[in-house]
Amino acid sequence: MQKQLLNIFIILLLSIFSSLLCAQTKVQDECLNCHKEMDSEPANLYVTDVHYSKNISCSACHGGDSKSDDMDIAMSKEKGFIGVPARSTRYEVCIKCHANQETMKNYGSKLPANQYENLKNSVHFQPSYNNEGPIADCVTCHSVHNIKKVKDPESKVYPINIVSLCGSCHSDADFMKNYNPGLPVDQVVKYKTSVHGRMNVKGDPNVAECASCHGSHDIYPVKDSRSHVYKTNIPEVCSSCHSNSKLMSKYKLPSDQYDSYVNSVHGVALLQKGELSSPSCNDCHGNHGAVPPGVESISKVCGTCHVLNMELFEQSPHKKAFDENDFPECETCHDNHAVMHPTDKMVGIQEGSVCMDCHSNDADDNGFIAADDMKKLLDSLSAEDESTKRILAEATQKGMDVSDAEYSLKDVRQILIQSRTSIHAFDISKFKEAISPGFEIIGKSKKAGIDAVDDFYFRREGLGIATLIVTILVIGLYFKIKKMEKKKG
Amino acid sequence: MNNENKKSIKERTYSWLDERFKLSALIDYAKKKSVPKYRETIWYYFGGIALLLFVVQVVTGVLLLMYYQGTENSAYESVKYISTKVSFGWLIRSVHSWSANLMILSAFIHMFSVYFLKSFRKPRELTWYTGFGLLVMAMAFGFSGYLLPWNELAFFATKVGTDIAGQLPVIGEPILKLLRGGEDVSGATLSRFFGFHVAVFPGIFTVLLALHLIFIQRQGMAEPADWKDMPESEKKYIPFFPNFTMRELLIWLIVINILAILAVFFPWELGTKADPFTSAPIGIKPEWYFMFMFQTLKFLPGEILFLTGEFVGIAAFGIAGILWFLVPFWDRRTPSGKRNTIINYAGIFAVIFIIVLTTLGYILD
Repeated sequence: MQKQLLNIFIILLLSIFSSLLCAQTKVQDECLNCHKEMDSEPANLYVTDVHYSKNISCSACHGGDSKSDDMDIAMSKEKGFIGVPARSTRYEVCIKCHANQETMKNYGSKLPANQYENLKNSVHFQPSYNNEGPIADCVTCHSVHNIKKVKDPESKVYPINIVSLCGSCHSDADFMKNYNPGLPVDQVVKYKTSVHGRMNVKGDPNVAECASCHGSHDIYPVKDSRSHVYKTNIPEVCSSCHSNSKLMSKYKLPSDQYDSYVNSVHGVALLQKGELSSPSCNDCHGNHGAVPPGVESISKVCGTCHVLNMELFEQSPHKKAFDENDFPECETCHDNHAVMHPTDKMVGIQEGSVCMDCHSNDADDNGFIAADDMKKLLDSLSAEDESTKRILAEATQKGMDVSDAEYSLKDVRQILIQSRTSIHAFDISKFKEAISPGFEIIGKSKKAGIDAVDDFYFRREGLGIATLIVTILVIGLYFKIKKMEKKKG
Repeated sequence: MNNENKKSIKERTYSWLDERFKLSALIDYAKKKSVPKYRETIWYYFGGIALLLFVVQVVTGVLLLMYYQGTENSAYESVKYISTKVSFGWLIRSVHSWSANLMILSAFIHMFSVYFLKSFRKPRELTWYTGFGLLVMAMAFGFSGYLLPWNELAFFATKVGTDIAGQLPVIGEPILKLLRGGEDVSGATLSRFFGFHVAVFPGIFTVLLALHLIFIQRQGMAEPADWKDMPESEKKYIPFFPNFTMRELLIWLIVINILAILAVFFPWELGTKADPFTSAPIGIKPEWYFMFMFQTLKFLPGEILFLTGEFVGIAAFGIAGILWFLVPFWDRRTPSGKRNTIINYAGIFAVIFIIVLTTLGYILD
């Protein structure tokens, strides 16, 4: 007990000592003194400002001599007084210190000194429509005289406050149409319906808000590849939180989505092949209104791209069965983040087939029989396609022209794709309807290939016979000439 | 009456024809015709080989005409149709292409053998001139026929070939436009080349060929120059009919065999359809019989004195061609029985030049 009391006493002593030290080192700011006496709002606000705590005088921004109590001297042009900085150039006042790493260090700040570099290239630093200066500068977001540290809940850019700060412009249709009439103005409304938004409203500073995804100073249009939310950058942006297992554990969420996604057919297409039509996180989850799709709406979400598959599935007997059993539609067979390129091994009755997850070898299980039939037909068409290609290649290698058959055979690939799509109807008669034209083409192409190979040998045999006849004639003629000339000679 | 009955059908048919067409006179003429028999007699057959191949060209060309369509949109497709769908179309096309090349090769050999054996001398100057004309026409047939399948290689080769003609001063531009039917190789060029190939050139060729054959028949086969002073008893001849004719027939059969083997084992490829909007593929080559000229022009520098390299090359070939054509005119020594080594040297130089430059054209590609 005595020890605890001693600790408290030491802390108190240290606090008093440090307060006295601060009071002693604080330079006398005559600007502030005078303006506070005048009860001016900026002066009253400034004492709460982070810059005030760093002993930065009004003159640092406004110029003049803060040590003089003579107003004429303190606010004279000779002393560099500029009054209220012009709207168009006021950012220059900020960057005097914030773009200089040494100055920042002298104030004991660890803030990076590249905010201006980032800001000046951003969409916000473009000239405003009325030529007042940049569309948004430092003051626009950080305010003036009452600037707080970002982590201070009082700061305008604190995660809980930033949504309304961004929304002050981005939710204003009249304002936004001056710059980008096509840009929606409902982001804040949607955001508040999202999981992120609902928790942000509740005061959770860890959930994603505007700057978490769009960045702070280096904001670019979404279609600019430098943007944090450019399509190929989104998975990494989302993963900055969602792959953080410590953070996600607080919300009882898994943190392996990113790893699953990057190896999926969608992730590979987008991130490795650069196919921008491939979905990123926000294409399925939404962006500002991000929520996980509900079990029954998954096919709708996937169906935004896979339209035919969705239509077929919704008319299929599986739709009802899945809904009744709360099976997440497409995800049941294809997985969600780890969607792999589907192969024919997924269908059928063999081990590894997704059909066998539900169906079994029962006499009354029509699904089992249909799955088996579908697999056999797919395998058969693929095998026939391969063997026909080999025959046509043999004919080509023999110098025969089978380009028409080769051209027709290209349709089989399309038919295979269509047949695989038609599986989603889970109806064997529809599947047969889709796949049977493939067998017809194969039949014709194969015949053309075999005929060409036969023709090749026919030509060789024909040539052999013709050559033999001509050679016999040559020999006969030779002896005839010999005989004739011998007779005469 | 009894005698009449004893005659065989063959004899009776002959009598019937002889009575009407005086066949005996023709047979007597053929019996008298002979060919000198010496170590160079073998070269005498190449004219006949070229003639056989020309007949093959006519027959196969007429058959191809039944399906070929000489327009920009259908030329390639029609040739493909001939090669793949028409019964024995592939054979006809392949024989036509191979036969054309063999005919030009035979004509070249025939020309050089006539040149080195000095058979162009008096009184056979006109035979030489018509023969030279026939070779030029055969090459023109080749150049025009090359474009007709309207494939990529032929398209760009024609572009390069006509470009060279366009380099000539004054007349180059009009010749270029005349050949192309416009500024560039297009469907109009194809139509023109088709017209030249199946109407204009065959007409000219037939006239020249008829004259050439008439001259040969009227003057007989040339005898070697050193036979002039040889006693008649030492000269050897073989009757043109039937001996020489049967030997020629034997060689024709061998040539037909070679032609069939080439056509079956090395069918003439069609390639891809010409697309005027694509850039020229690598390895554009003229037909082999233009290669020596093409390669020479490639070797020449861009500028020679104050003239373009191409112009100098074309002019040199033009002058050389004229000199070659006029050889019976400027070679005054041979007819008088004197040796004229310049003729031999010029001929050897021409043969070596053609072989070396043609080989380099294929090697350096």
